Amino acid sequence: MVQPAEPGTRRRFLKWLTGIGAIGSAALAGIPALRAFISPIFGRAAPQSWVKLGEADLFDPDVPTKVDFAQTVTDAWVESRELHSVWVTTADGEHFTVFSGRCTHLGCSFAYDKAQKRFQCPCHQGMFDPKTGAVLGGPPPRPLDQLETKIDKGDLYVAYQDFRVGTAQKIAV
Amino acid sequence: MGLTRWLDERLDLAGIRRGLLDREVPDRLTWWHTLGSATLTVFLIQVITGIVLATYYAPSPDHAYESIRFVDRQVASGSLLRAIHHWGASAMVVLIIAHVVRVFSVGAYKYPREANWLVGVVLLLVVLGFSFTGYLLPWDQKAYWATAVGTNIGGTTPVVGGYVVTLLRGGAELGAATLTRFYAFHVLWLPMVLGVFVLVHLAVVIRQGIAPLPATLEQGAPARTTDPRYPAYYRAAYAGSKRRGVRFWPDIIGKDAAVSLAVVLVIVLLALALGAPLEAPADPSDTAYVPRPEWYFLPLYQLLKLVPGSLESLVAFGVPTALIVTLLALPFFDTRSKRNLLRRPVALVGLVVILGGSGLLIGAAVRQAGPAVPPEVGRPLTSRERAGRALFQSEQCTGCHTVAGKGGNQGPDLSDIGLHHSAAWLHSYVEDPSRFHPGTKMPSFGPPTLSHEEIEELAQYLSSLRGPPGKRAEPQYADTFPEAPKP
Repeated sequence: MVQPAEPGTRRRFLKWLTGIGAIGSAALAGIPALRAFISPIFGRAAPQSWVKLGEADLFDPDVPTKVDFAQTVTDAWVESRELHSVWVTTADGEHFTVFSGRCTHLGCSFAYDKAQKRFQCPCHQGMFDPKTGAVLGGPPPRPLDQLETKIDKGDLYVAYQDFRVGTAQKIAV
Repeated sequence: MGLTRWLDERLDLAGIRRGLLDREVPDRLTWWHTLGSATLTVFLIQVITGIVLATYYAPSPDHAYESIRFVDRQVASGSLLRAIHHWGASAMVVLIIAHVVRVFSVGAYKYPREANWLVGVVLLLVVLGFSFTGYLLPWDQKAYWATAVGTNIGGTTPVVGGYVVTLLRGGAELGAATLTRFYAFHVLWLPMVLGVFVLVHLAVVIRQGIAPLPATLEQGAPARTTDPRYPAYYRAAYAGSKRRGVRFWPDIIGKDAAVSLAVVLVIVLLALALGAPLEAPADPSDTAYVPRPEWYFLPLYQLLKLVPGSLESLVAFGVPTALIVTLLALPFFDTRSKRNLLRRPVALVGLVVILGGSGLLIGAAVRQAGPAVPPEVGRPLTSRERAGRALFQSEQCTGCHTVAGKGGNQGPDLSDIGLHHSAAWLHSYVEDPSRFHPGTKMPSFGPPTLSHEEIEELAQYLSSLRGPPGKRAEPQYADTFPEAPKP
């Protein structure tokens, strides 16, 4: 074998080559792999989707109205339809308050008690004020969850969102 | 360094270093000797990219395709990752075949490396198994139909063919059970088998040393390796070649690392430039789809087209089996001590015939290839769209119009017409083109030529043509309709 003039230089070059090769190969494939793996932390905020509840004029002032609707929910690559309900209240037919239909205690569906004029949850007797959502009695840790609304061309829309149940703070899930 | 010494005292790191890195290897190793380590590098890349892909993949016909689209569209670097895995798979097949050819050409499967050759043949088969199980997973048209054909080839096995197909598919039909089965093999069984056999393969290489160049082992050698004098001759000749040799580290590893980096670079560049294909979702009812396997299965695919039908099952089963048996038996019937390929005429002719034949068959298959990518809307065609596609054929639309590279050029290419016009516009146009373009050569297809129902089917099909999947354009049109003709 022809010995190179400076074996020391040659060996240094080969060691350097090994380092470059190993780091380069690892980085070329590793960076996309790592980025993809930690992709959820770059999570984009889910776009707010407005659900049409109906013509604003049709909601009775002073009497809360329950609206059920189905929403297409995308969970990663799985699309499904979920049923939700909300309660719509208005004092003047112009300004609307929309509550999530789930009790803040354990997530049961509550009903409107016409005689007592309050929301009543059948599970543990939680009671709420229909105008403000404030807790009037029972175990619920916080007022009803109020949802964002808008009126567009005479139609009432709500941005439906679920909140954690059983906590004093309103925490979106 | 304190930690190194602490570990060294307990694990004898210096001994490992002497045995692994400082060992002498024969002189004049060529660049061809880097193919094995390059294959290993690509395997490691497949493991890493595969693990991350598996975290986003749902092995069920309901969700497989959607989860792959999720990777392509929603996961950061997801489409690049999938493309690296796709091209890595091809690279692995290329490298492992090149490695086999190199080992074959220098007769390195002969004494004393027969056993490691067998391990290598198993590794080759496992890699092909990875390819076969891997391309079903996206559950697109190619996945479905190529696997339908592939499993049918298993059915050509004499006597037990029926059982083989059922076992491969996990049932009589290709479906959910096939997908989980292929997935389990792709991510659990095969990696385990490959990992163990790679370790054995490497351990034996370290134990026996790298095979020297043929000339070193030919001078004064007994004619056959079965000759009782051969082992002694071999030991002496090999020791001689090692005395003139170099250190494994960094002389050999440096070359290996350089070639590995080049290979990874090529894979990533291919991935960036070409991406990974994803056709329309699997549609078991689509009888018009022409399945084509991955390129490395094309020789067999093309060969099956050439033989008469009566011989088909014989060839489908016989040719791969004969190749595998030949590879496994090779070190046992070829016991002559000549190693240089030029002094082994039978081996040389065999190699040229197999490689040349495969190359010619791949070439023929590529030349006969239809459109590489069928149009897609990202979902199976509806029954109306399928009816429209049938009308598109039967009404001779392809005589003037091209879709995905097939058809005439009298009229405009319609491959992505759905991006430019709505189904309603297309309906009106097909019904009476002269209303839109007075003097057009296109005949009117309004009643009585086609009923409105048929025109609507045709329009729905045309509206589904959105160009190749890579484009992913959203339709953009502002259709204008000329005034309706006065009654």
